[in-house]
Amino acid sequence: MKRIEKSIILSVFTILALATTISCSDKLDTQEGQLNTGDLDYTNTDDMIDPVIGAYYEFATRGWEEPLLLGVRGDDVNAGGEGDQQPFSDTDRFIYNKDYWMYNSLWNVHYNDIVNMNTAILQVENYKEFAEGDDIARADQYIAEISVLRAWFHFNLARVWEDVFIITSNQPSTEVENGVASKAEVMQFIIDQMDMAIPNLPDARPNERTDIPGGVTSYTAYALKALAYQELEDYQGVADAAGAIINSGKFSLYPDFYQLFKKPGELSDESLLEMQYSDFGSSTGDAVYHLYAPFGPQNWTPERENASSGWGFYEPSMKFIKFMIDRNETVRLETSVLFTDRGIAEIENDGYTMPSFVSNTTPSGDIINDYARALFASGKHYLPSVQLTDGRNDYGAGKNMIVIRYAEILLMYAEAVTQGASATAIPADAAVNLVRERAELSTISGVTQQDVLDEKFAELAMEWGIRYYDMIRLGKTEELSYDGRSFSSGDQYLPYPQAQVDALPLNATPVDRNTAMNNALRQLN
Amino acid sequence: MKVKLFLASVFFLVFSELSYAQQTKTITGTVISANEVPLPGAEVKVNGKDIFDVTDFDGNFTLEGVEVGDVFTVTFLGFKDKVAEVTTSSNYSVFLEEDAGQLDEVVVVGYGTQKKRDLTGAIASLDSEELEKTPTANVMQSLQGKVSGVQIVSAGSPGDSPTVRIRGLGTFQDATNVLYVVDGTLYDNIDFLNTKDIKSVNVLKDASSSAIYGVRAANGVVIIETKSGRKNQKPQIEYDGYTGIQRAQNVVKMANAEQFVTMALESGSAADEQFVNNAIQRYGRSRVNPNIPDVNTDWYEEVLRDGIIQNHSIGVSGGAEKVTYSIGTNYFAQEGILDMKNEYERFNMRSKVDVDISDRFKSGVNVIFSNATKYTPENAAWFKSYFAVPIMPVIDSLNTGASPIPYSNAQILGYRGTQNPFTDITFNENRQKIRKVLATLYFQYEIIPEKLDFKTTYSHNLSAFEERYVNLPYLLGNNVERRSSITRANNTFSNQYWDNILTYNDQFGDHDLTVMAGSSYRDEASNNFSATGQDIAGIKLESSWFLNFADPESFNNNVSEIGRRFYGLSYFGRIAYNFKDKYLLYGTFRADGSSKFTKDPWGYFPSVGAGWVISEENFMEDNGVFDFLKLRASWGKLGNDNVAASDGSNTINVITAALGEQPRNGITSTSVFSDNTWEVIEEVNFGMNMEMFDNRLSIDADYYIRDTEDAILPVFIPIINRSVNQNSGVIRNQGLELNLNWNQQVSDDFSYSIGANFTTLDNEAISIEDERGYIDSGSAEFRQRTQEGGPLFAFYGYERTGVYQNQAQVDADPIAVENNLSPGDLIYRDQNGDGVIDDSDRVILGSFLPEFTFGGNIGVNYKAFDMTMSFYGQTGNKILNRKRGEIIFTQDTNMDADLAINRWHGEGTSNAYPSSAGLRKAWNQRLSNFWVEDGDFFRIQNIQVGYTIQSEALPQTRLYFTAERPFTFFDYNGFDPEVPNGVDRQTYPIPSVYTIGLNIKI
Repeated sequence: MKRIEKSIILSVFTILALATTISCSDKLDTQEGQLNTGDLDYTNTDDMIDPVIGAYYEFATRGWEEPLLLGVRGDDVNAGGEGDQQPFSDTDRFIYNKDYWMYNSLWNVHYNDIVNMNTAILQVENYKEFAEGDDIARADQYIAEISVLRAWFHFNLARVWEDVFIITSNQPSTEVENGVASKAEVMQFIIDQMDMAIPNLPDARPNERTDIPGGVTSYTAYALKALAYQELEDYQGVADAAGAIINSGKFSLYPDFYQLFKKPGELSDESLLEMQYSDFGSSTGDAVYHLYAPFGPQNWTPERENASSGWGFYEPSMKFIKFMIDRNETVRLETSVLFTDRGIAEIENDGYTMPSFVSNTTPSGDIINDYARALFASGKHYLPSVQLTDGRNDYGAGKNMIVIRYAEILLMYAEAVTQGASATAIPADAAVNLVRERAELSTISGVTQQDVLDEKFAELAMEWGIRYYDMIRLGKTEELSYDGRSFSSGDQYLPYPQAQVDALPLNATPVDRNTAMNNALRQLN
Repeated sequence: MKVKLFLASVFFLVFSELSYAQQTKTITGTVISANEVPLPGAEVKVNGKDIFDVTDFDGNFTLEGVEVGDVFTVTFLGFKDKVAEVTTSSNYSVFLEEDAGQLDEVVVVGYGTQKKRDLTGAIASLDSEELEKTPTANVMQSLQGKVSGVQIVSAGSPGDSPTVRIRGLGTFQDATNVLYVVDGTLYDNIDFLNTKDIKSVNVLKDASSSAIYGVRAANGVVIIETKSGRKNQKPQIEYDGYTGIQRAQNVVKMANAEQFVTMALESGSAADEQFVNNAIQRYGRSRVNPNIPDVNTDWYEEVLRDGIIQNHSIGVSGGAEKVTYSIGTNYFAQEGILDMKNEYERFNMRSKVDVDISDRFKSGVNVIFSNATKYTPENAAWFKSYFAVPIMPVIDSLNTGASPIPYSNAQILGYRGTQNPFTDITFNENRQKIRKVLATLYFQYEIIPEKLDFKTTYSHNLSAFEERYVNLPYLLGNNVERRSSITRANNTFSNQYWDNILTYNDQFGDHDLTVMAGSSYRDEASNNFSATGQDIAGIKLESSWFLNFADPESFNNNVSEIGRRFYGLSYFGRIAYNFKDKYLLYGTFRADGSSKFTKDPWGYFPSVGAGWVISEENFMEDNGVFDFLKLRASWGKLGNDNVAASDGSNTINVITAALGEQPRNGITSTSVFSDNTWEVIEEVNFGMNMEMFDNRLSIDADYYIRDTEDAILPVFIPIINRSVNQNSGVIRNQGLELNLNWNQQVSDDFSYSIGANFTTLDNEAISIEDERGYIDSGSAEFRQRTQEGGPLFAFYGYERTGVYQNQAQVDADPIAVENNLSPGDLIYRDQNGDGVIDDSDRVILGSFLPEFTFGGNIGVNYKAFDMTMSFYGQTGNKILNRKRGEIIFTQDTNMDADLAINRWHGEGTSNAYPSSAGLRKAWNQRLSNFWVEDGDFFRIQNIQVGYTIQSEALPQTRLYFTAERPFTFFDYNGFDPEVPNGVDRQTYPIPSVYTIGLNIKI
């Protein structure tokens, strides 16, 4: 009995122990529950569009502070009051702080997206390897599209920090070691990239695309090229690139300036690049939103109940409003500014007579109540509460954000011509008058550079800091010293964020940018 | 023990020869402790015969059929065995001596046991008596302050586990869990165990002791044994229960309305002034001070409450000749101190049965079932209570837009946020149902009796977490609407282990040898399913809190499921040898294969140890001082596989973009990866154990150096703006641990004991393979930096030396002029003396790890009374007061009274705190030691007073009163200096607990 028991046990043990070793050791190289890039089937070129859609998703995923910080320093807009986010309001007054989280966030999120674009390009290239026929051209088009989005990130970074890294790979350590490129080098990089992209991109308006509605086309690339030339003050380059867009005949201004910035104006014939958001008309479920609350008034009585108000962080300046009243602007003033009674009273105290259409009720019936932080709010970032999807309450929920529009192209073109470039398309007067007609203003002739700059101020205020970067480019920095602000040389660019100085080969003090190290790094580049 | 048995049997043989013809008889007796307390439950067994008894409540026993000359042994846990001979007398009084030294005590080590006196590593053991003093759901909490080298950071919320660190912090990885081995099965978390069911907790501190657990042992190993029955033991029924209250201590005093308004007005911000005026308009003027609103809300007072705690256990244990058993049940309930549905309730059942199937064949089953429900707190409420302005009431009857309760909304006064914490605590309910089953089955066979033994164990640890987070809808005025939603998550963990162990032990001559070899296979699988639905129909009734009442469209992209499965295979062995009980040698080896590291799955982890029991040497005989003296040294290697496996490859996320108002799916993928292998810990330990003055004084000391080689560090990749884990550094922890205990029996009625323990810790990054020589962590605004030669995660910033007091001082300082400073701004030290304050002036401001910890206890027994008190303290750790620091993000909210009162507001008012206007300046908001404070504290940890009723009419009954953490002394400006990672943002306060308890043994 004992003997049997013993041998049973021993043999069971031996079998089991052996089985353990054999059956388990091959499990050591199994990993379950995770999707890896190796799991993609690159031979299935139908999926090639997936990383491109991913790139548009990343493009539209912006932190709330990014458009604010890019735009706040101009004389068209203020940071709102002090109190909350004081360093933001300091930035508006050209008092910079490299420890401020917004600077670091803008840098990080932009560069992170540049790397995301590079990764998406690599993914498309993987598909391209197995592609045949038309699919090869399609792959080239996708790569070109993503390059355009990537250029826009570089463009912002160079406008804000002057000398920044150009990153074209998803393993950027070598490019980082090469050091920063000068702003001019970045702009030239953008121009070269656009030249490579344009032949591969569709000859269409973004809203004509059916595969990716609102996606990048060759004209988006021309637009970025024009912007980069403008930063380089190469006005013939601007006129050529902008002229190509005008000469295509595909673009026109959306007739209703007020609705251009609301849902009816989404993906209009005026749009060259647009961030798209939507809740797909459904009251619940997944939604792709931008956080517009910082742009909104802090206190309102919405036409549609339970629509949320905003934070009051982006206030059109008194200077801008007075400028607009002086010009007898109508629809553009009404569209650009949300008025409070307190703000109206402040303007009237300064001896201005408000046009009759100005009140604290918007054309869409939302009543803007007084709030402590600011006197006005941005109308171009406002979505009337009645345009919200039922059940959705976030401020501006689902509204698109236009990045580049035809009006800017027309005015860029006109300015270039007044700066001495030869007109490659229509005359400068015609370009300005197209914009003025839509704004219900009379036409003018013999436009000067100042006329165009005034038109840009009136047309493009509150949009992406266009006004600020114009003033910096043209050295008209006295315009920036307004309402108690004092702009001094050296205030053009933000200091590198402290966290980046700690992590990168950068020298970050704005007063001492020309260090031996940075010079050496520039040489290397 | 063995020697004694041997001698006893010799006696028995001799005497049985002599008294061959004698007749059998019956004897009775009483087993009594040295202070004349009868000992119930003691075992009395006649050597060599099948005659035994267990003493009754009065300590009485009866042995039938004995003969004169028979020898019987009395054994009782915690006392030395006593052998007595049967004489012609028929009544015996047996006095048992307390086993103070407990050197013969057997300690559970990995896959086996060892005598405490034979240990060469550093193992700390606590028995049930010490553990049961602490009223807690988690046994690890009871170790706080009791074991040197072990840091326990309490968790305030009911049902949450404390943070346990053994010998410092050796890894950057999030998972720093120690490994728990409960009756042989491996766990990361033991929140399902009831303290009363635990027989002992053994902490394997050094690498030599824990190396047998290989890749799981990096953060230390705690072996827990649950209670079992004993053979031939009469059933003992025990009830133990306590109930009491918990109360927040050292509640942070917030600025009141007057102080807040003063700060707001001094800030120089017109908006803030307007907000105060809005509050005056809305709520009226205070009659005491007409310049402040007639509201003064202390938000902490509003959200805090007293919580009830209770625990009841009933257990039966006993045994027959071939079977032992221990079965029991336990109910534990604890309310949180946050005034919402925040509580923990646990019901446990357990059964442990061991059977001798034959002389050599044994088997047993151990099952623990735990069913708990935890309502977790909304920690955001702590955060909001700190920030909510005091000039706003909880309920604002003017807020007619709010429903169903007219809570106030700070937006109405002009602030950005709604601030009111009551929306979180009233309209959110977070439930977790936690069910765990541990089932273990083993078979054991003695292949060669008393020598070679084989044991195979299969255990399955099945856990199911059912989570339900309900957001009730509300309106809060100012167009704030929250719609209803429910998130449900089901997580199951199914971990299976199969261990096979062969143990050989033998004594020959002066040699004593134990050899063990084994294999272990583990299969750990988990599955997580979660879904969120919005707009729940009939949300008012809990019966409709199911996802099928949600708007079906809301599930779009709100459903996720993920599964994981890891396999591990290990082979291991152990040799323990001693010569004449004098010279000790010890060695272990483990080969571990893990599927987490597909590139190179195998790791090898050896350890060795040696000991010299000096007190056994001839020259130490009769020295009169040392009863026991041992020197020991050990070395070992451990692995840490508790690192994220996903860093091994590029991963893909599926996203939804809006293109032309249509949802379109696409992919994004990560661009960084690294091939990691496990971290390897190498440790040397030198130790000493002493027993002196008749075992009254015992001293244990250990010194260790513990290096984490190949430490996986999050190397920051700039531009990509992501940290990638890479094996790229060496981390060292070293320290000294000292335990002292003194016991004395002064008289029959009076005895006392005093214990103390001290721990030093030096935590340091020895090398970092990063070009910059440091690793940054924390957020950019609250920087924590690990640099070579410094501690891990040290706070990094400027050193404040004072506050500018007047304009003359500002004008005289070029730094102040350069930075446009004003009186009331902080002065920083120019560390490099270059005349400017810039980033190169930042220094290490300290680490959250304490450099020195100490604990102690005093116990007194007088007649039927017993009293114990323990204390605990630490120094050298820093806390980032991030509650204050959040002012960086939002400047116009409330602050603690200390900051408001002690602000600079004129020359000479403060040389430590900036002015109200200064607080809003970026200059003062830089991370400096203004925000980083000392975390030193001293705490009366536990006081327990007990009274044992000695009456024959009653079973043995003890009443006791416990005060847990009644007093804590510290300077830190927060609730409690116990902050797990040193960053105090919304830490749940640790309450004091007062309970009364009752223990009955039948």
